[in-house]
Amino acid sequence: MSFRMHAALVIAKRRIFESYLSPGYYIAQAVGLLLSYFLISGFVSSIDSSGFNYMLNPLYELIGRSLSGTFGLTFLKKLFASGPFQFVFYVSIIPVFLYLSLSTVFHFCLEKKVGAIELLTYGPVDGTSYFLAFFIKDMVLTILYLLLLILFLSAAALLNNLVLGLAFFYVLVVVFFMMMLLYTISIMISVLTDSSASAIALYIAVIFLFLIVLMGSFTIISTYITSFSSVLSWVINWVSPFFYGGLAISFIEAGYIVNYLLILLVMTVLSCLFLLLSHLVIKVKGVHS
Amino acid sequence: MIRTRGLVKKYGSFTAVDNLDLNISAGEIYGFLGPNGAGKTSTMLMLLGIVKPTAGEIFLFNEKYTPDKLDMRNKIGVVPEKHPYGVWTWMTAFEYMQLFADLFDLKRIHGNCNDRIEYLLLQVDLYGVRNKRIAEFSRGMLQKLSIIRALLHDPDILFLDEPISGLDPIGIKQIRNLILAENREGRTIFISSHLLSEMEKLCHRIAIIYKGKLLAEDSMNSLLAKLVKDREILIDLETLPHNIGNTIKELPFILDTTTNGNTLAIKVSKERDFRKDISGYLINKGLIPLRIEETALSLEEAFVTITNENIDLFTEIGGRE
Repeated sequence: MSFRMHAALVIAKRRIFESYLSPGYYIAQAVGLLLSYFLISGFVSSIDSSGFNYMLNPLYELIGRSLSGTFGLTFLKKLFASGPFQFVFYVSIIPVFLYLSLSTVFHFCLEKKVGAIELLTYGPVDGTSYFLAFFIKDMVLTILYLLLLILFLSAAALLNNLVLGLAFFYVLVVVFFMMMLLYTISIMISVLTDSSASAIALYIAVIFLFLIVLMGSFTIISTYITSFSSVLSWVINWVSPFFYGGLAISFIEAGYIVNYLLILLVMTVLSCLFLLLSHLVIKVKGVHS
Repeated sequence: MIRTRGLVKKYGSFTAVDNLDLNISAGEIYGFLGPNGAGKTSTMLMLLGIVKPTAGEIFLFNEKYTPDKLDMRNKIGVVPEKHPYGVWTWMTAFEYMQLFADLFDLKRIHGNCNDRIEYLLLQVDLYGVRNKRIAEFSRGMLQKLSIIRALLHDPDILFLDEPISGLDPIGIKQIRNLILAENREGRTIFISSHLLSEMEKLCHRIAIIYKGKLLAEDSMNSLLAKLVKDREILIDLETLPHNIGNTIKELPFILDTTTNGNTLAIKVSKERDFRKDISGYLINKGLIPLRIEETALSLEEAFVTITNENIDLFTEIGGRE
């Protein structure tokens, strides 16, 4: 094993241990699971003889109106066609994703600033192994949370006489790859910026940009966006995890497994590209604070 | 062991290090001295591959060194001036040492590395607090921990940036003994410092850097000898006769005299040792010298002379201005 990879694994191991010592990761998991619980119980009370009717539950009425207003009724119907779990999964992954990616952005910049990375680079560690450690930590903690979530949702499905369904697992894989891409983007931003505050602001702005372009493609505004800034939205979509996620799900709905797998491959390649760019940037910028 | 050729570091229009040529042999304790802003830290960061030189080359172990050579860093130990413990404070001293042992993969190389960690903790009196969190450590304890962390992987070269600043006298002695013991084992030690009196006790050779330029590089004794303008001889006499200060001036090599109690201070030129001539003269006059001693110029005095007062003198003795 190379010195770089060895160092990345050692640091990642400590980081994971550190995450289990601090309350942040537990709180994010608890929030995610609580949201799942409320959304599943809300869904169960929104079912009548005609099937799922979001008007029956105040929580789902709010969600249904918001989603149909933003993405359209067709999107809403497709989302809940095979039960609540796709939607529950999207929602319950957000707290953990935000906690992990924002803590990576915050800590990487802070540790660069106070010289902690510099101290490690006096040994067989370089900036690349340091950010790789953050990436490995985020991926491992995400996998652990996904496993917990699958267990929780399986139990909820069993108790409420629902099924997770194959589509749920396809979505789970897509979301995992989307998160991988988002984590690499967070690393790229951490490497580019010099302060934690500006890194967090930039990262949130980038996520919002991806979301705005995604929402624009579903709504009436899309025509306006297309004519006004077609090139910009086209460029953003090329690197947007949400765009690829949506594409992969539409492929699986249409039964195009190969295309679905190709999208996963594209997201992997893009993630590698972001890591490579981060490596080049940190090589030029260095880790000296 | 460490060699630089034409090393230059510029930050915009400011030249921090200017055409620096260093040559440090294996097993040497090399003191790198200079006032704040002289270019010491920039030089050290370049030697460590943290900062890229604007121009010039660095050779470590007779190989050209670039930051990519991670394997070479296994042979280097570093004690930086500032320690970013803020992110490690949740660890105990033992866990902190274990983290670095893991990074250097010492378990694979040496088997059980806990013995080495315990040995080093004992050397600096930190064994008793090995299970205490770093957050509770004093500045001196942190400094000692940093030094043994740098020694953990048994490096061939040790870079120390202000290693004893912030230590109490006992701590200074412990670290001094540790540095000397590590040097006796054959380690090359590069110390950057402004604590001149301590460098005098440790270093075989010193270099003085000022405004990015190497002003002097020599062994301690010869550098001090070169810097001495005149010699001063102190003579304690049983009784000090009236006017001896003037009468002794008949000796041609005496430049000046002063008296203080029973001590006669004589300034002579630095050509040779005149103590024998002076004691002969005094005995002929019926006086008994109880002590004849030549005062030595300390490194501290030499350093002040070079950096602030007399660069011209220094240039004459072989420095590069």
